[in-house]
This record gives sequence, C-alpha cells and structure tokens, in this order.
Amino acid sequence: MSKRFTLVLVVLMVLAAVLSACKPAEKLVTTINLNFATEPPTMDPGLSTDTTSVDCVNMLFMGLSRLDIETVETKPYLATEWSVSADGLVWTFKMRKDVFWWRWDPATQKAEKKRPVVAGDIVYAVRRVANPETASDYAYVDYIIKGVQAVNTGESTDLESVGVRAVDDYTVEFTLTQPAGYFAAIAGMWTNNPVPREPIEQFGDKWTEPGNIWTCGPTYLDVWEHENKVVMKKNPNWFDAKNVFIETYNWAIVNDDATAMAMYENGELDVTPPPLSDMDRIKADPTLSKELYIGPGTCTYYYGFNTSKPPLDNVKVRQALSHGIDRQKLIDTVLKGGQKVATTFACPGVFGTPAEDPNWKGIEFDPAKGKALLAEAGYPDGKGLAEITLMFNTSAGHQRIAEFIQQSWKENLGLDIKLANQEWAVYLKTVNTDAPQIYRMGWCLDYPDENNWVLENFHTTKSLNNPKWSGANAVEFDRLTEEAALSNDPAKRKELYFKAEQLLTVTDAVIAPIYYYTSVVMTKPYVERTYSKAGHQEFWYWKVQAH
Amino acid sequence: MGRYIIRRLLLLIPVLFFISVITFALAHAVPGGPFDREKPLPPEVIANLEKYYGLDQPVWKQYVDYVTDIAFRFDFGPSYRSRGRSVNDIFADHLPVSAQLGLAAIVIALVIGLPLGILSALKQNTLWDYLGMGLAIFGVSVPAIVLGPILILIFALALHWFPVAGWGTPAKMVMPAFALGLRESAIIARLTRASMLQVIREDYIRTARAKGLSERVVMVRHALKNAFIPVATILGPMFAALLTGTFIVEQIFAIPGMGKYFITSITNRDYPVVMGTILLYAVFLVLANLAVDLTYAFLDPRIRYT
Repeated sequence: MSKRFTLVLVVLMVLAAVLSACKPAEKLVTTINLNFATEPPTMDPGLSTDTTSVDCVNMLFMGLSRLDIETVETKPYLATEWSVSADGLVWTFKMRKDVFWWRWDPATQKAEKKRPVVAGDIVYAVRRVANPETASDYAYVDYIIKGVQAVNTGESTDLESVGVRAVDDYTVEFTLTQPAGYFAAIAGMWTNNPVPREPIEQFGDKWTEPGNIWTCGPTYLDVWEHENKVVMKKNPNWFDAKNVFIETYNWAIVNDDATAMAMYENGELDVTPPPLSDMDRIKADPTLSKELYIGPGTCTYYYGFNTSKPPLDNVKVRQALSHGIDRQKLIDTVLKGGQKVATTFACPGVFGTPAEDPNWKGIEFDPAKGKALLAEAGYPDGKGLAEITLMFNTSAGHQRIAEFIQQSWKENLGLDIKLANQEWAVYLKTVNTDAPQIYRMGWCLDYPDENNWVLENFHTTKSLNNPKWSGANAVEFDRLTEEAALSNDPAKRKELYFKAEQLLTVTDAVIAPIYYYTSVVMTKPYVERTYSKAGHQEFWYWKVQAH
Repeated sequence: MGRYIIRRLLLLIPVLFFISVITFALAHAVPGGPFDREKPLPPEVIANLEKYYGLDQPVWKQYVDYVTDIAFRFDFGPSYRSRGRSVNDIFADHLPVSAQLGLAAIVIALVIGLPLGILSALKQNTLWDYLGMGLAIFGVSVPAIVLGPILILIFALALHWFPVAGWGTPAKMVMPAFALGLRESAIIARLTRASMLQVIREDYIRTARAKGLSERVVMVRHALKNAFIPVATILGPMFAALLTGTFIVEQIFAIPGMGKYFITSITNRDYPVVMGTILLYAVFLVLANLAVDLTYAFLDPRIRYT
C-alpha cells in the first residue's frame, strides 16, 4: 500500500512539475513603434552629444561599461572586468571576445559578419575623438586621459601620445592625468564606444548611413529617412540576443508633442511623452491615467545668481530669494509632471549628491526666513533694493515658470522682479559671457558623478563660472571639488561633495535649485518595459505582448 | 519672348548676389554662434569646430568661399547641426517632399477656390454667394495651426480615415494638403469673385453678349480669362511659399519637408542652411513670378514681351 501510494505520489508530483513548466507560451509581437522627438543629428558615437543621438548609439554600439538603469551604477558591458593601478592612474579593461562588427544590407535584408570588436577599435575611437580634425564636441570629456588635451588643442600632433593602448586584442589600457574614481563611467560613455576604422575611412562622414555602417550593438540600422523615420532590426548574433524579443524598431520623427500624443491615442505609437497641456486630461481619463508613468529623471532646473551684480552680490539677498520660491506649488500648479523639489544641484542618483542624504538640509521654501534675511541685508520688505532682472530663454514653459516665481517673490518677499527673455542662441551667449542678475539654466548628467555637476559647472577656473563666484568660499569649493575628483575613496568623496553642495546652494547660495526633472511617459499596456534612472533607455530589452 | 525670358533669368544673378550678401551679413551679425550650447564647450573644442567648418577664416573669406563653392561646384556647404549632411543633401531629401505637398495644396486651392469664386460672382447676393463667401471667410480666418489639429481630431482620431501624421503614403498626404490648401482656396475664391464681378460689368462682355455668344462662352472665354489675371498674380508667391515648405503644417503633421529648416536653421545659427534656404526661396520666388508674368501674355492679348 505504502509503496503504491509513494509511486502514485511521485508520478503526480512529476506530472505537476511538467505541467507547471508547460505554461502557455508568451504571445509576443516583434514590432514596436517609438518616436524620436527630433531628427538624430548623428549616429556617430564620437560626435554624439544629444539624447536622441545617444539613444541611437546605444542601440547600435557597445561601450566598455554601461550605467545600470536601476541603480545608476557602472557595470561591465563590452568589458568583462577592469582594474586600476595602485596610484589610480592606469585603468585596464578586459573585453568580451564574442562581440563582432556587422554590416547590415538594407537591400537584401541580410547581415554580413565583418570581424571581432577588438581593443584596437577602442584605441582608434579615443584617438579619433582626440584628433582636432574630427572636431568632436565631447573631446573635452576625455581630457582626463593622458595626452588627449595636448592633441586636441593642437599642442601635440602625435596621436600615439594619447594614453590609450591595446595590450592585446582584448585588453585595453588607459593612462590618466590624475586619479579619477569615476573613470569606468567615462570609459563606457558613448564618446569612447569602439568604432570601425574601415567604413569610416571608406565613407567619411557618410559612414553612419544604412548600408555603410558597421555596428556591434543589439540592433542593425535598416532605414534612416532623415526627418521622417528610422528603422532598426534586431541583431540575432549579439551576445545577449536571447533576451531581445523585438525584431523591428520603428522610430517616427515627430517634433510636435501634441501630434505624437494623437498618434499614441490612434495606436500609431506605443510610447510617447505626453504634452504638458494634456496632463490634466490624461490624469482624469480612466484609461490614459493607467498608462501614464512619472519616474525620476536625470536633470536639475535651477536659477543662477550673478554674484558680481548688485544686489545679488549680497549673499543674504540670494538666500532670501532661494527661500522665497514655493517650489512645491510651482510643481503642483504649473509643471504638473510630478517633478521633485530640488535642494541640491546634482539630482538623486548621481554619485556624491546629498539630495537623498538624511543629514542634508538645503534651502527650502520659508518666506519668514527669506524676509528676515532681506531685513538683515538692509532691505526690509525689499525696500531700497536695486532693480533685479530674471532672464530666461524664450519659451512658453520657461515663461510660465518665471512668471510663477516672480509672483512667488512678490507675495512672499514683497519684491518686484523684472522678467526678460532672449532667443536661445543669444541667451546662451549672454549667460556665458555676462550673465544677468538671475538666469535660468538646467543640467543633465553625462555620467553619474558629482564631478560632472559641481566641478564642470561652478569651479571658478575649470568651468565658465557663469555666476562669477569668488571669495573664500569659492576657493574652498574649488579645493573640495578638486580633492574629490582626485580621490579614490568613495566615502571621502561623498563627504567632500556634501560640503561643496552646501557652499554652492546654501552657504553662498550661488544658485537656487528649483526642481529635479521627472521622466513622464505614456506607454501602451501591452508594452513590457523598464524605466531608466540613468538617463537612457534599454529599448532592446522591452517586450510587446500580442494586442 | 525668348530674349525676355533670358533677360529675366540673367537678372536673377544680381538678385541672388544681393540677397546672399544681406543674408550672410545678417546671419553673422546676430549674437550667438552655432556652437553655443547649454553645456558650454571649452574654447579649445570650439576652436576645433570653427576650424573644421572654416569659421576661423575672416568673414569676407568665408563669404567668398561660400559663393565660389556654389558657383563652381553647386555646393551649398555643410549643415552644422547634422554632421555628415550637407545643405545639398537637405535639398535633395526634403525639397521633393515639400514640393509634392505644395503642389497638392495648390491643386486643392484652385479646385475649390476658383469654382467657389466664380459661383459667388455669378450668383451675387444670393444664398450661393453668401455660402461661398462664408466658407471663404472661414478659410481665411482659421489658420493651419488650428485647422491641422481639427482635421486630426475628426478624420484620424474620430473617423480613422487617415493616419494622424507622417509621410510616405498617399493617405498621409491628404490632411496636410487640405490644411495648407483650404486657406489658399479661400484667398483665391475671394479674389476670383471680386475680379469676376469687375470683369462681367466691362463693355467687352456686353459686346460679347450682344454678338449673341452663349453665356458659357462669354464667361469662360472672355470673363474668366481676364478675371484670372489678379489670381495669377498671387499664385506666383503662393507657389514659391508652398513649394518650399511651410513650417506649421510640416510640424503638425510630422512632414519631412523644407519648412522647418527655415526656422530651425536660424535658431541653431546653422549659417549654410540659413543661406541655402533663403537663396532657394528667392530662386523659387523669382521663377514663379516670371512664370506669372509669362501667363499674362496668354491671358491678356494686350500684353506683349519683347
């Protein structure tokens, strides 16, 4: 009895296990319809600077490292591992051996295997970016690599002097000018993605056109009808192709967000950012509201103060202005995209930012304190204060924000601030040469490290220093950011950046951080996707369920 | 006639030269440059970019190089925004799109506008006249920026007759062509009506009727031909404007045409594209006006060119 019972039990268990493994197969669609809000200016990794170009580069190429979209940590990608010398100057990356260059022929719809991606391709890419004849915008990001600055500025014409070399086919070594704990992220940035010498030499600037381009990433480039559409096809030979389920990526190029939203509602797009003007309607709509996602972004919106122009040369006036901005109300009534109140310059997710540190207390909305500071500065209720102008680049969105803040300062501090605006290129010239008393600006991460934020924007000599910051605190800020850049100790770096942010946003109130951007996007329910905190999406890991 | 055409075409050269000088000077005089970024570039990188595009040369030399490249190589230079694409590429990719859309819009404008204007004139002060002119006033008053979304709302989102936006199939051309053409048809209708009303009161029309010609012959061969002269006059600039692209309609319907380059090239300080688009427009305008002048000779026997 017990034997038979045991046998039946075992058979039943095996059957149950088999049946449970035989779940109905997932029914997937192999096409997705997405939108680039603008024509990609380039698909050349060495020349890309904008998010659209970078999205294309990520679809087509691979960097040594990648930013984890969840944790924003630097993870191996084309490199399997890396090591740093004791002095922090020499970085060695071991590369995958199963990544190849492919040329996709749009006419025959077939891919041609070219050769493996080797360390020499990285060396070629870095030297090409450093070469002044390439005129790469982001060459300066590589100035930390030995010899890049000298070559890029024409001091040296010896490309061999650039501190990158192929130790063997699958090992690449970088020599830096100074230790930099964040270098793994720089090495993996799109600018330093491997590029194939052969098509570049054959086709020149046209090497990124379909049929010419060699790629090594998750997809091939099938179609690029400028200003109209881009089509990418899955690379079934990619090392992680088993986890890529979409075969065809159709990218429309629709600038107008209202049109893109209409296309989304008509089923022509599967994903789109909603227009600000539609947010109330979307939130009230039972179907659309479920398709709306608001997640963290990677940018900060802020107002800078020109500390050399009275009355903004008085720190108490700057602090008062920062205390006088009702950021939450701005978000709730004007922006409506779930943005987060900013109290630091670097947004959450960036290494070293104190944004989410429980010990951090930035300048918050506090009208009483603002008024008190104004009185201490000798301007009770703003009386006797010289005229202040707030300038922004011409745009309905910036105008609405500026008008809200103008009103906020009027109500909370009793100040009358003048608004002015300029066309974008004129505005940039103004801000970068002689910034107005208060000016609008934003910053998005290139790599997730405070160095990319505080040092590159506000160091008094290593940045343009638009706020014309000077004095003892500015000197201390320079010292802190330099020391943090050189340090390899994460805990110490965090501590240094905490102090630097404190000086920048609180003690000297050189800027008033206003809000951290959010990523606001509509996605059809049949799209299984990830939401990135790292500023770029990994579209190739998405799935589209049958619908 | 042949000599007249050649003379007019030769006049194009000084016109284009003058326009190019003015545009070049204005484009370079405006503050801000093509490499000013929200993330400011270091001066060394800007210097590399300027060298790459020849902007490190004196302005007069840049102009001479520019004109020489156009004159001898028909090369309008690179686009500063899209590396690897030249202004010639932009013309080749986007001008045919704008021209197709513009032609469709003009056909719509003429097919709707002319009959509406004629009908309103012939049935002056009747219900037909009021209806026709009511439609025309609607067409003139509702700009494409309003009409475009209305068309999308009705014909794409509600009726699902056409896709919302994009380019490449005939269905995608219908709504933008209407959004462009309806306003022009309204202008043509009003002008045709006014012109017809004037012409049908002329002595020679009375004479034609007195000769015993049928009303159809009087209207088509005598009245309409003359009434068309003012319409032909506005068709010139209308052709040039529609064929070289329209920013708003292209933006609303995501059309990969030339229109957006007129605006974005200025925002981006993309000097060669600014120059190229303006010269292109100038050529179209001059040629369209020449074509209009030539049609006068067919429409009005009193006009002769020597």
